[in-house]
Amino acid sequence: MGKWLEVAVACTREKVEATANVLNEMGSGGVVIDDPALIVDYINKGSVETVAPSLGQSAGGGVVVKGYFPAGQGTGGQLEQLAACLGQLGVTWSSSEVLEEDWATAWRKYYKPIKVGKRFVIKPSWEDYIHSGDEIIIELDPGMAFGCGTHETTAMCLALLEQEVRGGELVYDVGTGSGILAVAAALLGAKKVVAVDIDEVAVRTAAENIRLNNVSDKVTVRQGNLLEGSANVRVDIIVANIIADVIKALAPDTPAALKDGGRLIASGIIRERADEVELALRNEGLACERRMEKGEWVAMVCRKV
Amino acid sequence: MAKRVAAIVKLQVPAGKATPAPPVGPALGQHGVNIMQFVKEYNERTAKQAGLIIPVEITVYEDRSFTFVTKTPPAAVLLKKAAGLETASGEPNKKKVGKVTSAQVKEIAELKMQDLNAASVEAAMRMIEGTARSMGIEVVG
Repeated sequence: MGKWLEVAVACTREKVEATANVLNEMGSGGVVIDDPALIVDYINKGSVETVAPSLGQSAGGGVVVKGYFPAGQGTGGQLEQLAACLGQLGVTWSSSEVLEEDWATAWRKYYKPIKVGKRFVIKPSWEDYIHSGDEIIIELDPGMAFGCGTHETTAMCLALLEQEVRGGELVYDVGTGSGILAVAAALLGAKKVVAVDIDEVAVRTAAENIRLNNVSDKVTVRQGNLLEGSANVRVDIIVANIIADVIKALAPDTPAALKDGGRLIASGIIRERADEVELALRNEGLACERRMEKGEWVAMVCRKV
Repeated sequence: MAKRVAAIVKLQVPAGKATPAPPVGPALGQHGVNIMQFVKEYNERTAKQAGLIIPVEITVYEDRSFTFVTKTPPAAVLLKKAAGLETASGEPNKKKVGKVTSAQVKEIAELKMQDLNAASVEAAMRMIEGTARSMGIEVVG
């Protein structure tokens, strides 16, 4: 787990820009600007209707700009240079160490079991839940990888998998993230599922979630790019919950990886680009059979013709 | 019923390249926001501006859901671009490293008007000029 040096600079609103610039130039990959007056601006502009009591109490004091640098080797000289630049700006600053554990799991306490689609219940692995009726429970520890089931794009994929997986199918899950869709396909009765992600963290998280749900006999996960190396086995269903550009990039290789009549479930498509993605898929011989929309997002089921 | 706002978080993050590392992780983790969900949406929305640092303001509600708006690039970034600079001056009071014209300042002020808390373009220009001075950039003409 990583350790970071947090440099917190107290300054006036006038000096925020120059301070942020110094931190960014010194290698902080972005900054946090804690501005207590920001909420007042929002209220004055009418963009915030109601505010939690906890927020009202914190509205006071000056602005703090925070930058972050990997702690450890070679930060000494960098810090001296930073101190000199900040001194020139006439601002005061302090530094402290922060640990990745402190934020990586902080949001967990807000997650509870939720129902998605008709039958799925997404249960965080650290929560208890009593199964009822025909519910299918997915145990999930989303960790730092995308796909905890609450996002519209994932929820739509789960609903579409419920409709498409009848039992016995071969499935690819491209860009598996937390592995939630691969696990869902297996729990719905798919015969074999291959999950792929380019990101190492995602592959590790997915492997953990596959194990948690006892579907290791059906689901395999590997690190890789889209459909590369998959073309020798044709599948019934490909599910890809990624983003518009990547779905378009995936389109040319998709027909060769699908059996005749096989389906692509494509999701993660922002609404204004749905038509463009549908056209790109149609040009490759994948006809859109239905679309689903939630919030700003679109998912579609396309059949190989 | 309108959802109550629990926090507003302001960040500057490289467009299309946000990661769960700082500053995003600690800033959002403490408010219960699913970090990867933000990262994915931010990168999707800012992909076309890659190479720039883009300010973003995230409104976090009490149920931990969130919305965010991206802003125009920071004044410091626009000033460096206008002056043809890679970096600002380390000693802005002594060492001037570049120049911008009043017309350029006005252009930046107008572009950033919607995001600045300024009553007029003139007031916005004074804010931009102040930032320029703190960076060792002279305003001429």
